[in-house]
Amino acid sequence: MHSLNWTSRLISRALRSSFSTLLDATTAGGAATTTTKGAAKPTPNRSRPRFVSVVCGFAKDNLRHKYKPGKYGEDSWFKASTETADVMGVADGVGGWRSYGIDPGEFSSFLMRTCERLVRCTHFNPQRPVNLLAYSYCELMEQKKPILGSSTACVLILNRETSTVHTANIGDSGFIVVREGEIVHKSEEQQHYFNTPFQLSLPPPGHGPNVLSDSPESADTMNFPVQEGDVILIATDGVFDNVPEDLMLQVLRDVEGERDPVKLQMTANTLALMARTLSLNSEFISPFAISARRNNIQARGGKPDDITVVLATVAM
Amino acid sequence: MSLLAFDGRVDEGNSSDTEPDELIDFTTLLMERQREDDCNDSWLDGNTDTNSKVQSQSYYNQGYHLGQYVLGVLDFSSQYGIDYSISYTAANVIGRPTKFPAYGDYPETFTMRTYGDWWLCVPSYTREIQSQNLPSLPTHDFIVVCFEKFVAPTEVAIFETFNPGGVVRIWAYNITKHWTCLWEAKNSDMIQPRNRSNYAHRDSRRFAPPLKATNVITKTLRIDFNHSQLNYYTEIDAIMLCGRTVSMRNMQQLIASASANVQRFDSSSREDISGGPITNKLRTLRFQPSCRENYAAKLHDFINKDLSQFLMENNLDPGQQLNSSASQNCLTDLPFEILLKILSYLDLMSLFRMGQVSRLFYDISTHPLLYGELSLKPYWHLANSKLLCTLAQRATMLRKLDLSWCGAFGEVSPTEFKKFLTQRGDNLTHLRLNSCKFLNASCIETVGIVCDNLIELSLRSCAIDPPLLNFSCLANLKNLERLDLFQTAFESELLLSMLEGNRKLKHLNLAFCGVSVNMDNVATHLATYNTQLVSLDMWKAHFLSARGLQSLARCHHLEELDLGWCLREATLGDSLHQLLSNCPKLKKLFLSAVRGITERDLIHIATLGKNLEQLDLMGILNITHERVYDILIHCTKLQLLDLSFCDSIMDHDLDVIADWSRLFNVDIKSSRIYNAR
Repeated sequence: MHSLNWTSRLISRALRSSFSTLLDATTAGGAATTTTKGAAKPTPNRSRPRFVSVVCGFAKDNLRHKYKPGKYGEDSWFKASTETADVMGVADGVGGWRSYGIDPGEFSSFLMRTCERLVRCTHFNPQRPVNLLAYSYCELMEQKKPILGSSTACVLILNRETSTVHTANIGDSGFIVVREGEIVHKSEEQQHYFNTPFQLSLPPPGHGPNVLSDSPESADTMNFPVQEGDVILIATDGVFDNVPEDLMLQVLRDVEGERDPVKLQMTANTLALMARTLSLNSEFISPFAISARRNNIQARGGKPDDITVVLATVAM
Repeated sequence: MSLLAFDGRVDEGNSSDTEPDELIDFTTLLMERQREDDCNDSWLDGNTDTNSKVQSQSYYNQGYHLGQYVLGVLDFSSQYGIDYSISYTAANVIGRPTKFPAYGDYPETFTMRTYGDWWLCVPSYTREIQSQNLPSLPTHDFIVVCFEKFVAPTEVAIFETFNPGGVVRIWAYNITKHWTCLWEAKNSDMIQPRNRSNYAHRDSRRFAPPLKATNVITKTLRIDFNHSQLNYYTEIDAIMLCGRTVSMRNMQQLIASASANVQRFDSSSREDISGGPITNKLRTLRFQPSCRENYAAKLHDFINKDLSQFLMENNLDPGQQLNSSASQNCLTDLPFEILLKILSYLDLMSLFRMGQVSRLFYDISTHPLLYGELSLKPYWHLANSKLLCTLAQRATMLRKLDLSWCGAFGEVSPTEFKKFLTQRGDNLTHLRLNSCKFLNASCIETVGIVCDNLIELSLRSCAIDPPLLNFSCLANLKNLERLDLFQTAFESELLLSMLEGNRKLKHLNLAFCGVSVNMDNVATHLATYNTQLVSLDMWKAHFLSARGLQSLARCHHLEELDLGWCLREATLGDSLHQLLSNCPKLKKLFLSAVRGITERDLIHIATLGKNLEQLDLMGILNITHERVYDILIHCTKLQLLDLSFCDSIMDHDLDVIADWSRLFNVDIKSSRIYNAR
């Protein structure tokens, strides 16, 4: 509750002072019409990078969850592309809410859908993915339909003007950047304690103090430049907990510099299927099992969970 | 001709695709284009001389047909959501439709604040100033949108995704800086009452009414809405403007010819230049009395002696007042006061027209008693500084002034407004300046200094930030009974000091002010200084807490309380119970999306809300149909009950609730998003 109050006050003041949600579009439009007489574009097209991106995934419980675009079970993802930025994100709904009668997938799905809409708004800042998450989180307050629950989130923005990637990560979803066969950037898992990641949450009224609720400001942010051919993988913990890192690296190494979305899709499918198979395998020593043992919990086998894989390569 | 040699191409005069090479310098480029346009204009007679232009209307047939969606929103009167949000706000009109053709209550659309007649039946309702000015379908809300390219409009399509039928007028802003009405709804267009039932099946629609044939060129539209026939909120997904594009040069021609016209008529300085049959006939006859000196006497002679003969000679209908026979009674025989009374029923435009009839009627129609109340809101498209100047001369006994919606594009200057106020504002009791874009710091200062007898002040949608607007002079006002600051940013300290100063305050509207103002402090101040409060609107005051609600319980005369979207998920504790026990006169209670309401609170509402007429419980989580039944049984005066998005009410209960609605004669709203997937 605290986090939400603070976040939305900050945002509302920022926007109130500019009142730019509506009017910037007109000034931008006005500028556009007067320069249609063949003026050169501000940035030459030659070096504007873009993502070639694909998605694949599996819901944990195939029987219960009919396939709906944009979500895999309780996980959800989004992709958006504008002139100035390419944005991707995943969110993993925390399953514990089911026992309260709340559908955990609703929160994560809403978060991602709103992020997608916000990317198109005039006040979208390609350099601050935390703001995107924060605005999206605030929009929850403005919905007539009450949306409760919590989820982790990971958002990645490619700023096409400067060829840099800005990321924000809350919780145990994350991303990996592979270049020339090596992992060059990796997100860190944020956990309060074992199997309890940082999460954005909106508890039912009255349960506020009992529920873990982290504010968007507590997100881990990273900024780094990217080059042509970099492979970026964003996934929920279903992948990172089941597929060991060297296996992931092997798969991702092969697709470096790939621009054909079909081949990219095949690799994403492979990765997702790998994660799924391993998660259902009860003998395999998964990364989840390893970290459980580090926490003195006897665990063995994979961790059945929703799997979402968003795979992209940078093309100039 | 040297230009042709320069770029090396020979032009036959008819070909229009001489695209100049981009490397040619600018002047040649422009002249080439001009030559092209002239060729196109005069291809009929093959004359390539740039000086002879064929003034054909065919320039409208150039350009291509274009359909475009909204680029930006310039102004709106109200929206459901708060301005930094993208849910239920005006910004959702921008771009392509996102939900159409789906039908439902979606957050990705533009929703307005009110619906139906419910806001007319509440204690805070105040009648319109000079209501005779209003058309039969008055405008309740509007939105002004702009598009990217200028077009001559052929179609305006409005995508309505929920409760269609609210649009009453479509205006276009011509490049000659005038508003033209492209379409106006007649009473027969509005939805009939029997279709207003909650359960009539409705569909989303692409509403594209037939537009009047005009030759406006525009890229800015204004859509007017009227909610009185609507069952629930109406929601707009997108607006599309289709038309033919026009080249820049033709537009400049139009602007030039329009300003020439204006200068020609400027000497008569009339707001209404159409005139009646006599004036028109005089113009066509090029009638000019040959008087070199002493014009007035000669004209007077002429009118008294020769005019009737002149009229008969030219077969014009003689007006009654020129009839020489004195035996007939005519309008002018009535005493002055009776004529004044008759004219007091006229709207402002007719009053001005009456003034053009004769000297007598001019004297009557400019009498100050007819200008005790002045409203330019229905004439927002005609209001300008000159009109204000004219009115200032007549309105010496002005008490109520409504300049809402006027001066949107700079037609009213702040200086003129200040002059008007300084001349005529001393005795003002009611002042409404909703959505007035011309207001600046000194205007507000003038209001504060001059109009100290104000009982009602309405400054809705003053979007400019507090530092620029300098509301501090308003602290001078001490007699306010009604203060409306809907969607206006106001500084906390100033608001609190105004509350302290105006002890007789009865109606206070602070919708959407919850961001800039600390509502808990406001509530405490109200409880201390403004215990006469009858109505309070705190829509979207997210940070109001249970403490604030408890303070409000001390305003015992409260009859109307709008706490929609307040309190967030904060637990209310005992505050609602205290409020209900201490304010027995409550007639309207809106608790939309106050998610902290518990079942106990609902029981209290049922037992303590004896006088409740309108109750909004949208989005409350713990409502069950038993509680609904409780409320229906105990609140006997209930007329409106909004149970939309109450997810705890199961779908199968809805039929039962529909039956109860008929049984208890209560309008129960139950909209929700139907997940078809």
